[in-house]
Amino acid sequence: MQSNLKLKGLLVITLLPALLLYSFFVIIPIFWSSYYGFFEWSGLGDATYIGLQNYIDVMQSPVFWRSLKNNLIIVAASVFGQVPIALALALMLRKSNWFQIFVRSAVFLPMVISTVVVGLIWGYIYDPEIGVINTVLRAVGLESWTKAWLADPSVNMYAVAVPIIWNYIGPYLIIFIAAIQNIPSEMEEAAMIDGASGWKKLIYIILPNMWTTIKVAVVLCISGSLKAFDQVFVMTGGGPAESTEILATYMYNNTFLVYRYGYGSAVSTMIILLSLILIGISQVLMKRKNEGMTIR
Amino acid sequence: MKFHLFKGIRILFLAVFSLMMIYPLYWLITSAFKTNKEFFARPHSFPTNFSFENFTRAWEVADLGTAMMNSTIVTITATALTVFLGALTAYVLSRFTFKLKAFLMVFFLLGMLIPIHSTLVPLFTMMDQIGLLDTYWALILPYTAFELPIAIFLTVAYMSSIPKELEEAAVIDGNGYWGVFFRIMLPLSVPALSTVAILSFLRYWNEFVFALVFINDSTLKTLPLSLSIFSDGFSTDYALTMAAMTIAVIPTIVMYLIFQEQIMKGMVAGSVKG
Amino acid sequence: MRKIKIAFLGIIMMFILTACIGNGDSKATKRSAADGKISISIWHNFAGDDLRARKVRNMIANFEEENPTIEVDEQAIPVDGYRQRISTVAAANELPDIFLTYAGSFTDEFYNGELIQPITSLFEENPEWKNSFLEGALEPYKYDGELYSAPIAMSATSFLYYNKDLFTANNLEVPETWAEFVQVIKVFNDKGITPIAMGNKAPWVAQSTTFGAIADRVTGTNWFLDAVEQEDASFTDPIFIDALHRFKELVDNGAYSDGANSMDNTQAEQYFAQGKAAMMINGAWTLSSLGASQSEQVLTNIGVSVVPGIEGGKGSGNTITGGPGGGFLLSSETKGEDKQAALKLIYKLSNADAQKEIAESNSMVMYDVDIDKENVNPLFFEAFNLIREVEFAPVYDLYLTSEAGEAVNNGLQEIMLGGDPEKVAESIQKAQSSN
Repeated sequence: MQSNLKLKGLLVITLLPALLLYSFFVIIPIFWSSYYGFFEWSGLGDATYIGLQNYIDVMQSPVFWRSLKNNLIIVAASVFGQVPIALALALMLRKSNWFQIFVRSAVFLPMVISTVVVGLIWGYIYDPEIGVINTVLRAVGLESWTKAWLADPSVNMYAVAVPIIWNYIGPYLIIFIAAIQNIPSEMEEAAMIDGASGWKKLIYIILPNMWTTIKVAVVLCISGSLKAFDQVFVMTGGGPAESTEILATYMYNNTFLVYRYGYGSAVSTMIILLSLILIGISQVLMKRKNEGMTIR
Repeated sequence: MKFHLFKGIRILFLAVFSLMMIYPLYWLITSAFKTNKEFFARPHSFPTNFSFENFTRAWEVADLGTAMMNSTIVTITATALTVFLGALTAYVLSRFTFKLKAFLMVFFLLGMLIPIHSTLVPLFTMMDQIGLLDTYWALILPYTAFELPIAIFLTVAYMSSIPKELEEAAVIDGNGYWGVFFRIMLPLSVPALSTVAILSFLRYWNEFVFALVFINDSTLKTLPLSLSIFSDGFSTDYALTMAAMTIAVIPTIVMYLIFQEQIMKGMVAGSVKG
Repeated sequence: MRKIKIAFLGIIMMFILTACIGNGDSKATKRSAADGKISISIWHNFAGDDLRARKVRNMIANFEEENPTIEVDEQAIPVDGYRQRISTVAAANELPDIFLTYAGSFTDEFYNGELIQPITSLFEENPEWKNSFLEGALEPYKYDGELYSAPIAMSATSFLYYNKDLFTANNLEVPETWAEFVQVIKVFNDKGITPIAMGNKAPWVAQSTTFGAIADRVTGTNWFLDAVEQEDASFTDPIFIDALHRFKELVDNGAYSDGANSMDNTQAEQYFAQGKAAMMINGAWTLSSLGASQSEQVLTNIGVSVVPGIEGGKGSGNTITGGPGGGFLLSSETKGEDKQAALKLIYKLSNADAQKEIAESNSMVMYDVDIDKENVNPLFFEAFNLIREVEFAPVYDLYLTSEAGEAVNNGLQEIMLGGDPEKVAESIQKAQSSN
């Protein structure tokens, strides 16, 4: 084979473009962002160094903690919504007849629609006057259940979470279908002979064999829902009275609405730290026996 | 009998669920045919007449032709770049062993955790300084950079499953590393790469925030930005907004319908290896 | 299938090539005209499809036709992103020759940054034009005795619109005092009619259309201007808390629908126009949007008045929040024959003819102009005459810092959700005093 030197040259040439692009546009900005966090800066004009003040302010801001709590609602809704729904659908959709293909396509369809459009459409679904939800409730005589879904702080965070779940079931469904198809059929047959069926088969054969995939899905789900922004921004903009503020909208509003760039940067740094912590926690929680799985 | 009942419930459930998934899109398209008055007065009914006036007016006023062109240029360039760089990097990371490999893998995967918005301000300043703002590259390069982690993730998983013998046979035939990459790895990875392509295409086509902040020049605006033109902060022309959104969503649906099979296959191939 | 994929690849390659070649120039600064023409750039936010936007774009097109030696590079930017874009290019010193501004702190920034130059000469050359502006119209654009812009709009943010039929059907008079106002709200509420339509999803609406007018009636204008400067007045003063309580009184009496905080302004307007709400407090923009979307019959059934006065308040009851609106500014970088051409264009867009054109697109102007009743909608005509008889009061967010403006906006939403006016006042004071 070719010389070691040539191999090294190849490695450099092939890895360098992606590495540079990725470092420059993804990694370096993170460090800049945490650095801006040390300044009082309006975006225009001079920045004043104020040490850790922004970070302290972030920690002391009740709205930040509310955003975090709201964001955790979205994370929980995604993890306990998207993953189980996708899993249940995957178990029901193991054949390839036209009906099942149709259902699969329908579930994946929201993925192709712009998140901005998703937010707008759902804003209308929730409309207290002309929205389809309240219209249906009124039609079936449940007048008292009608609500201003996005304006009422007791429900609006859950209302906001639904479109996000709706939006992203598709990819998980497909991942799970694939995982189920990869379970060696001998195992299932053996289980059948042993008399295991239905729930038992699910618990003892299918789920353990999919555990790795489920873990991957959960990680993708957490990182995805911590990044959620568009749908919430379009539906409520974080309002009313900041009751649906999530981390990304809180950061955006501070930076681009009231021009507190330094503070907004401190918030973004916190978002990244929190993402890492949450992913870490989820890894520990899902650790089973001898598995040494990392995020891959 | 019991079995049939269970099956019936399941089919009913699946059918209702699918309709729930499709309904918003149906609502968008039917609304696009309504006048503003009809939109508010009869929000759930079928449009009374199918006139394409909303579409033609939206197309003209928002200059959707230009926006469509810009979106196409940005999306396709960035998608091609993502697929190529992703494949190249995945090839190295999956087929060679070297000291920094594990570190690089983690380094790239870290990117999957980073919220795109947290880099807005620094990226804006950095690109302002090197004069990238207000060019296509201001979108193409960051889009690609942010999509690389998932592209690498999916492709590495797939390439690891390609048998080593195929590679060795190619080397015996006189191929160098590049020959192996272009003649063996790239063609064999098409299912995974098409998944990467589809996912990136959808993401880039619909991306809003970077496009909002990094592009000022109206002649360079991409589609998602043109959808906000019918709202002046005081009032919104819903009929035209819905029409413009329908126009914007059509290319992605067409793409999806054409490549639907590939998406499924690619996802299946790329994701389970873990 | 395979063919499609190959074709797709072909398209990819084609676009990569065109993208590399054609990634054109994009600077806001002027492009040098090739054929000896004078080239000037103009940025504005008349991007939409409404009548006024089309008329303004038309005027610019006409200007180019009339002046074949001048090439106008025009950028129409949607309102949503306009401020941010102008600020960004201003920071990079790449302002266009002419750009639309808003009266108030936005213009102050450009003046303080020495980014604009006066257009006083234009007023000196056309004294009749200058004198036809309404009283106070030029004040916001006057710095050190020089004039920097001519307003082409009036911002009037707090008309009280009411549904005539609903008032007659319930034997009610249009309220003129606070007590009557609260009474009317109660009656409509009992009848199951939403008393006031409001679309406060974008939270500036409650502040700009309703609260500013109420607060001015309670505190008077001078107190507010002092509080803005943080001299002898603070937003925690009892008088301001009283104003917040007045707003809370409306909320507590069920003036607004439950969904008011999730509706946008257009939805609220439609809701009102459909007769589902009896009143709506909204700005002059409603005149043009209702005019464009509703029938003559609906429009004649709508009356327009001012927010009721408040007995015992320090302010006058006969005011509408608002004042001079936007106008065009001239960049300080524009010189020589470019400047002459730019002045000519500014005049073209704000002279008597332009003001009349704009007024007849159902938009208020700060200029003494007679409009033909036939050319505007009946609601606009009524409001146009009303505005001559009232005084202006300041719009809150034009004067407050952006942080304090946000604090007011969010605070009013909090009050609508049952929040405490004292706490809201504190957070407003904190935001305003932090700068």
